[in-house]
Amino acid sequence: MNHTMIFNYVTFIYFLAFVLYLFKLVLKKESWGYAASFAAWTGMLGHTFSLMLRWKESYDRGIGHAPLANLYESLIFFAWSIMILYLLIERRIKNRILGAFVVPVAFLIMAYASIAPGINSGIEPLIPALQSNWLTTHVLTCFMGYAAFTVAFGGGLLYFWKSIRDEKGSNDLTLNDHLPSLEMLDILIYQSVMIGFVFLAMGIITGSVWAHYAWGAYWSWDPKEIWSLITWLIYAILLHARYVRGWRGKRMAMLAIIGFASVLFTYLGVNVLVSLHNYI
Amino acid sequence: MVVLFIVATLIPQQSVSPEFAWLADIYHSRVFYILMALFSLNLIICSLNRLPLTIRQYRASHFPPPSGLFENLPQNRTILTHKKMEDAEQRVEASLSPAINNVKKTNTEKGHLFYRGRGRFSLFGVYMVHLGVLVIIAGAVAGSIWGFQAEIRLAEGQESNVVQLAGSGTEHSLDFTVRCEKFVVEFYDTGAPKTYRSDLSFIRDGKKMHRGSVLVNHPLSFNGLRFYQATYGVSEDSRAYLRYEHTGRESREIPVLRGETFDLPDQKAKATVLRVEENIMQLGPAVKLRIETNKNKVEFWVFQHIKKIADVNPGLFSAVPVFNPGRFQPLVFSLQRVENQYFTGLQIVRDPGIPFVLTGGIMLLIGIIVIFFVSHQRVWVWVEQEPDGVKIRVAGRSNRYNEASQRQLDDLCIKIERGLSA
Repeated sequence: MNHTMIFNYVTFIYFLAFVLYLFKLVLKKESWGYAASFAAWTGMLGHTFSLMLRWKESYDRGIGHAPLANLYESLIFFAWSIMILYLLIERRIKNRILGAFVVPVAFLIMAYASIAPGINSGIEPLIPALQSNWLTTHVLTCFMGYAAFTVAFGGGLLYFWKSIRDEKGSNDLTLNDHLPSLEMLDILIYQSVMIGFVFLAMGIITGSVWAHYAWGAYWSWDPKEIWSLITWLIYAILLHARYVRGWRGKRMAMLAIIGFASVLFTYLGVNVLVSLHNYI
Repeated sequence: MVVLFIVATLIPQQSVSPEFAWLADIYHSRVFYILMALFSLNLIICSLNRLPLTIRQYRASHFPPPSGLFENLPQNRTILTHKKMEDAEQRVEASLSPAINNVKKTNTEKGHLFYRGRGRFSLFGVYMVHLGVLVIIAGAVAGSIWGFQAEIRLAEGQESNVVQLAGSGTEHSLDFTVRCEKFVVEFYDTGAPKTYRSDLSFIRDGKKMHRGSVLVNHPLSFNGLRFYQATYGVSEDSRAYLRYEHTGRESREIPVLRGETFDLPDQKAKATVLRVEENIMQLGPAVKLRIETNKNKVEFWVFQHIKKIADVNPGLFSAVPVFNPGRFQPLVFSLQRVENQYFTGLQIVRDPGIPFVLTGGIMLLIGIIVIFFVSHQRVWVWVEQEPDGVKIRVAGRSNRYNEASQRQLDDLCIKIERGLSA
């Protein structure tokens, strides 16, 4: 079985997991949640296995490198980071509702990787600019950061969902008892942003160390660099607003959603602009 | 003040985001420098403003504890025991500080009050981050003032000490000469580039001081300057490899470029390369030579595929004598091959700001990690002799999210209880 096929199955399993999480959200039965978690874990393990397979295959072909070298591989890895981070958080907070907002993001990314035109899913040898030990560190830290921001985004969406439900059916107690409390969501958003912020800082720093060796300048005001800085600053504002101004709740959720839009633009939107970063 | 800070963070952002497409050099514009200066000033002022508060927190005395600390305690934070006062206190101290002895103790009316603080230094994490940002900005400014950035293009075998400064493009002389011995470009089967490599030597006062290869991702340092593989190309001139036959013996291969001359042995003759062509008149690669002696001079073409050409056109040499590679008797020239000649484009950089930027980056990262993952936790335990036994009360304060610190207090209570019942 080849890794591209497994990725296709994984995409389908993520979709299934998303649907099951939705059932859990709407029908409120815990059994749907178990099924959803089971599907998500299965998908994630298949995903991991298939990443390994791809990695191994690149060595078999004699061009060995970690599968982090082009847009396709980065999308696959992004989805994987989201899933592993989400599933770890799910275990910790012991609540499965968030999956309905995070897992679809992973599914969409996987689907985009396989169907979007102009995305080369082949294993390619590394061009000279990418032949560096910093490749893995840089890509790894950046995407762990992006994944954490995705979870914060899902938390933000759930926060709004829950507060709308609260306003509508404040008398109906059964409606919301399976949802995490707003305070808990607020903390979840904050902690995810915190993790993402550290990883993105590491990603930017490892990136500039690499740029120092590859391009002769640690900072070139390349669109990708600028947008990663903007993203980082948006989350810095979020954290400052929390620490200094004491912002909580809806405003946090709003900033987490804005920040995620910036993440997406940094990752995909910038590619339409002329950039030194044109490998990904 | 805080609003000002947030606004200040926004300003450079908005000025950088939309502009890069059409205002190419905004990052070196005066406006940008002023904005950066304002941003730095804001950072300094905000940090200094909050510093006294932090120092107060850092130095805050643990005794007496903050007022109201022991009021409204959850039930599980109060432990009653019938053990002796001394035993209870010993137990409390052991539970508070398993490894290091950092527990403070003070006398109260009916017993003792214990205090343990942890992660007090984390209060300064935020200043570390802000200082890191300032150090990075300082490094960037130092780099743009005292840094040096230039380019040089060298064909294989060429040497030069003149470089073009980045931005202005003006010429600048180095106090040493760079020579490109060889440039190698390799491709994968897919056609994607695999390697760009320039073999360089650095020459000073006629002596080769240093040799080395520059690859993408592997710059080379010489004399405080770093050399980067930036670009490459095919130069207009191709290189030809000639041989000549003299009384039945072949000479060695002679690499030549257009305009070069070489001496012919045993003859007082000098050959000049007039033209090097990759494909002339659809007859393939050819070189035009002029050979001069004291007496006369002759010009003729040397074709690589002369045999084929002569076979197809019998009597060629008598009809067109300039096509005869043996026109200068008794030598017969042959052309081995004509190769594209590459030039390499090197970027030359000196940036004194780099140590600062690196230090700032590390400070920033350590600072962030300290802020997020270390918290200032303070725990007080009050042990008092009551009529019905010894009463132990546990309370705490933390500067970070409460849930985790509450859990730690619970753990501490359980630990004390277990120790007492053991």
